[in-house]
Amino acid sequence: MSERAAKLIFWVGTLSSLALFLGLTWDTHRSFAALTHADKLDANVVAGKHVFENHNCNDCHTILGFGGYYAPDLTRAYKRLGEDAVRLRLASPEKAFASSYRKMPQQHLTPVEIDRLVDFLRWVGGIDNHDWPPQDSDTRWKASTRRLVGGAAMSPGAALVSQEACLACHALGNAGEHRGPRLEYVATRRDADWIARYLADPQALTPGSTMPKFDHLSEGQRQAIAEFVASLAEGRTP
Amino acid sequence: MNFKSQRVAYPYFVVALLLFALQLVMGLYLAFNYFYTVPQAVVDVFPFSTARAMHTNLLVLWLLLGFMGATYYAIPEETQSELAWPKVAWAQLVLLTGTGVAALVGFLFGWTQGRPLLEIPTTLDVLVVVGALMFLANVGVTILRARRFTATQGTLLAGLVFLAVMYLFGMPFYENLAIDWYYWWWVIHLWVEGAWELVTAALMAFMMIQLTGVDRKIVEKWLYVELGLFLFTGLAGTGHHYYWIAAPRYWLWVGGAFSALEPLPIAFMLIDTWRSMKDSKRPQPRLTWVYVIGMAVLHFVGAGLFGFAHTLPQINYYTHGSQVTVSHGHLAFFGAYALLNLSFFYFAIPRLKGFADGRYDERGGHWGFWLTSSAVVGMSLAMAVAGVLQTYLERVQGQPYIVAQSPMRFWMLIVFLHGLLVLAGALLIIKHLLTLRPAPARSGA
Ligand code: HEC
Ligand code: HEC
Ligand code: HEM
Ligand code: HEM
Ligand SMILES: [Fe+2]
Repeated sequence: MSERAAKLIFWVGTLSSLALFLGLTWDTHRSFAALTHADKLDANVVAGKHVFENHNCNDCHTILGFGGYYAPDLTRAYKRLGEDAVRLRLASPEKAFASSYRKMPQQHLTPVEIDRLVDFLRWVGGIDNHDWPPQDSDTRWKASTRRLVGGAAMSPGAALVSQEACLACHALGNAGEHRGPRLEYVATRRDADWIARYLADPQALTPGSTMPKFDHLSEGQRQAIAEFVASLAEGRTP
Repeated sequence: MNFKSQRVAYPYFVVALLLFALQLVMGLYLAFNYFYTVPQAVVDVFPFSTARAMHTNLLVLWLLLGFMGATYYAIPEETQSELAWPKVAWAQLVLLTGTGVAALVGFLFGWTQGRPLLEIPTTLDVLVVVGALMFLANVGVTILRARRFTATQGTLLAGLVFLAVMYLFGMPFYENLAIDWYYWWWVIHLWVEGAWELVTAALMAFMMIQLTGVDRKIVEKWLYVELGLFLFTGLAGTGHHYYWIAAPRYWLWVGGAFSALEPLPIAFMLIDTWRSMKDSKRPQPRLTWVYVIGMAVLHFVGAGLFGFAHTLPQINYYTHGSQVTVSHGHLAFFGAYALLNLSFFYFAIPRLKGFADGRYDERGGHWGFWLTSSAVVGMSLAMAVAGVLQTYLERVQGQPYIVAQSPMRFWMLIVFLHGLLVLAGALLIIKHLLTLRPAPARSGA
């Protein structure tokens, strides 16, 4: 190969890739507004991003899959846990994770800082990033619930969940709210007995929980709800 | 060593080596946190996040100081002239080391910009920029005054300017998280798969010319091809980090296709280095080649193979942001840039000390190389096992994060144990380099 040919490879290779990269960068900027719902990105969200950075959360937690891998990804934390549960974990991690083998520091966040972090996480939770991460994938939740709810629609547990308006606070499939954890997510880490005890007295198992007691129901009704919720986990036999 | 001002490279190497040792201590603390339950009281004071900022910033600082020292060694040889301002080079070292120490102490007290790998607060960023400008001016003026231009030093300077300019994209506050990460990767990816590869290619070409006596024209011709391939694949290849950040879908195609080609120039560099060694007309200490070839091989394995393994979007969807990433990050950084620096130190220090033909007493040095390198490979493999477990349990099965981490803890203990060996090997290397002696007179023959 001649030196001329070598130089040609250098210039053509570099400039073609650079042109493509800069062109797509320009186009990507035009798309960000829609994909990230920039209309919802208000001053509170920005303030929340500042709090997030000031406390170096990102060197333990990934967000969008980037950062430290030591703690759960926060991209969909808002949707997975719900607003009240996020608040509790930010305000008193030493209690929330008291029995866990891995701790989160008590950072003495002010109530305002917690509000802004919640705003930030709510906004991030809504962005359109091709449904990553897979464990929080909306499509996957919906598919598994459709299957189960279809089969279990007549089950006493399902009826009680609807009667007791759990979905005023919890998400399930397409429906519900994000104050407490998504019920399918609850099912991935709790068994029916635990859930039944939790329904009787949430505070006993999660100090600081804002979920109301369901002690007006009978033990059998609570067990029925618990078995329905536990059955929502993918791959677990009801 | 032919020029007096080259001597300023040595203190750069010494500081770099000491920071390397400190980096490893922090790495051990990180791995410890993974398999052992550190009590809340300790987590409140010295959390994982602080140690991680220190581990990664120490890494970047020592590698960059090593590159700068290497440049101050190489430029006088390439231009056949003294450095323009040796005293400024000293001041720059003091400034950058001071800034680094201030950043590390600041992290302990929560003074941080809070973005992974770019935690240095903006105030200190300004000092880093001042240091970088002092450096580039010094090198640039030396080249201009000497009026002797070579492709090798052109590449080196281009790589360094590219590196410095990219740093600027990491400094502002971005309101939109997606745009923030878009430009974060202009720093991180365009460094390790762009600018730093240029610096590597230039320093390797420089060492090959000096070590082997192979014709400069041939080395520099292949240098153009290598650079062309690096930049062709690496620039658009940045897209392999844009799959899941809320960017348009075409990045899955562009990032996947271009980055899948990234191993090619690295393989090319390996073959090129191997051929230069075979064609070498000058005998060299065995350890010098052990390092240079070791670097070319582990660069290819860590960056090329481990990088390729998770670069296609179909795979990256499941492995993204898991211990698989950490495994690749360690083997790539060590194989490519830690070993490049150590290779250069072994090349330059004997010459700086004026040993005849750059020959030195190799005893002890081989242990350091093999212990450190095999321990890093073992550590990366243990991380890879943890990563595959995580990918399967958390990403495929859908177990919650903290549940899926539980069986990974055993493998993080294995990581820690390998880390102890990495530290032991690195201490051997550091001691050997800092107390290098001339080669013993040859007995018999
Ligand atoms: C020292 C590391 C560390 C730091 C710093 C840290 N966290 Fe955490 N965080 C954790 C760990 C570990 C867990 C999970 C514990 C468990 O589930 O047992 C966690 C859990 C959480 C959760 C619940 C996630 C879930 O899916 O269960 C949220 C939300 C959270 N952290 C937010 C934050 C925010 C916001 C910050 C910054 C203000 C922060 N964390 C700083 C370690 C950390
Ligand atoms: C007023 C709102 C509200 C209602 C109504 C409500 N919950 Fe909850 N629930 C919460 C909140 C908030 C949490 C999270 C507590 C915490 O911080 O851990 C929670 C937590 C839970 C948990 C424990 C999750 C875990 O893994 O720790 C279960 C199980 C649960 N809810 C089931 C139900 C069921 C079943 C119903 C209906 C019978 C119901 N909840 C009704 C707010 C509510
Ligand atoms: C004693 C040996 C070492 C140990 C035990 C160790 C351990 C660790 C751990 C546990 C992490 C945190 C990963 C996470 O966020 O979960 C980490 C991060 C990192 N380390 Fe090390 N490390 C060691 C040596 C090194 C060396 C030699 C290098 C480079 C040459 C290096 C480069 C990095 C990088 C680049 C990161 C960030 C990784 C990422 O973001 O994916 N480490 N290390
Ligand atoms: C010497 C060169 C390289 C170094 C030092 C390096 C280092 C790293 C590091 C530290 C990360 C983690 C960054 C973070 O998220 O914190 C990373 C991510 C990544 N690297 Fe490399 N890399 C190199 C080359 C390559 C090559 C050649 C490829 C592809 C063929 C590649 C593919 C990837 C991919 C796909 C990721 C993203 C992982 C994820 O999604 O989490 N890398 N690299
Ligand atoms: Fe990359």
